[in-house]
Amino acid sequence: MTFKPLPPSVTSADLNLGDAFVTTRVDAVVNWGRRNSLWPFPFGTACCGIEFMGVVSSMYDVSRFGAELVRFSPRQADLLIIAGTITYKMAPVLQRIYDQMCEPKWVLSVGACATSGGFYDCYCTVPGMDEIVPVDMYVAGCPPRPEAFLEAIVSLQKKIDRESMAEQKMVGA
Amino acid sequence: MSSHAAAAYPAIKPGLSKDVLAEALIARFGLVRDARDAWDLTLLAPRERLIEVVTALRDDAAWQFDTLIDLAGIDYLSYPGHDGPRFGVIYLFKSTVFNHRVKIKILLEEDDVAVPTLTGLYKIADWMEREVFDQIGVTFTGHPNPKRLLNHHEFVGHPLRKDYPCQKRQKLSMNDPLIDQMEARLASFGYTVLDRGEAQIAAGITVKGEGSVK
Repeated sequence: MTFKPLPPSVTSADLNLGDAFVTTRVDAVVNWGRRNSLWPFPFGTACCGIEFMGVVSSMYDVSRFGAELVRFSPRQADLLIIAGTITYKMAPVLQRIYDQMCEPKWVLSVGACATSGGFYDCYCTVPGMDEIVPVDMYVAGCPPRPEAFLEAIVSLQKKIDRESMAEQKMVGA
Repeated sequence: MSSHAAAAYPAIKPGLSKDVLAEALIARFGLVRDARDAWDLTLLAPRERLIEVVTALRDDAAWQFDTLIDLAGIDYLSYPGHDGPRFGVIYLFKSTVFNHRVKIKILLEEDDVAVPTLTGLYKIADWMEREVFDQIGVTFTGHPNPKRLLNHHEFVGHPLRKDYPCQKRQKLSMNDPLIDQMEARLASFGYTVLDRGEAQIAAGITVKGEGSVK
């Protein structure tokens, strides 16, 4: 079958396609897909990791927000959830996992320890994950309630909605 | 069984009070009881006698301190009322036969913080001594693997010393491969390391940890 261009006099109305297609922006479609199918990689090192299990399971059910498919390979995930205390000895491991994740990727810092070091104001604890990797959302709490966790997911979805492929910058590029 | 101890102290039986036990131990070993420890039984020992005393405590039928429960280092810098040597090491032993506990304390001057290792007597002392070395800076002569245990390998100083600024953080640039201990463990099961991946690394292939074991 050969493709023949329509003469310029023919408009879409003449084709009578009805609602067979919609017009939109690429950003809107891509962001819609990205925000509703986040694939989390849980980096749970302390009690916030236990809280994450509650968020994922049926009681709070993060799958209502499309982020239920937990992956334990950074290559298959696009949302790094840092849930717990990170020591300097652990930091290079976390950094490497972040580096292994494919673009686009987002980072959720869950709880007081990941956000600021928490009450571990000492020689061995990283005082906030943003020293190691760029963080998109912080969740307060020690550990946070699942509601706070879910609010962070929703806030992150809103943030993803504002992103633009045209303006996207590679991290570390 | 040392006939000496058993013959001299036939009255050693389970559940002695700490004072009775202290009397017997002091009579046997000629050590001094630490007056500062009012709750428990702590004996002060010179470093030179550590191995001899601990061997006797473990092996003599009269004592049978078969468990090393804990091992701690102390930094007495700015400790109220302390005017002795700066560092201390405390060994806590328990006899599961008699249900007795005793602590042995060794005081160390700042310029000579070395004690003989107990890894030959108690296997558990391995990691305990590594922790005390890591955090306090006491060295254990004869230790089979005198590396840091908790802090990373680029850490400088000993964080639980009182003159270490406790908020001084030290970044780690590359994680600590523990493959040497893994290889020792595999060797204890009878495995031999054939290849650590040096050929790939030399050829510029940067995938690490791809060695083979048989």
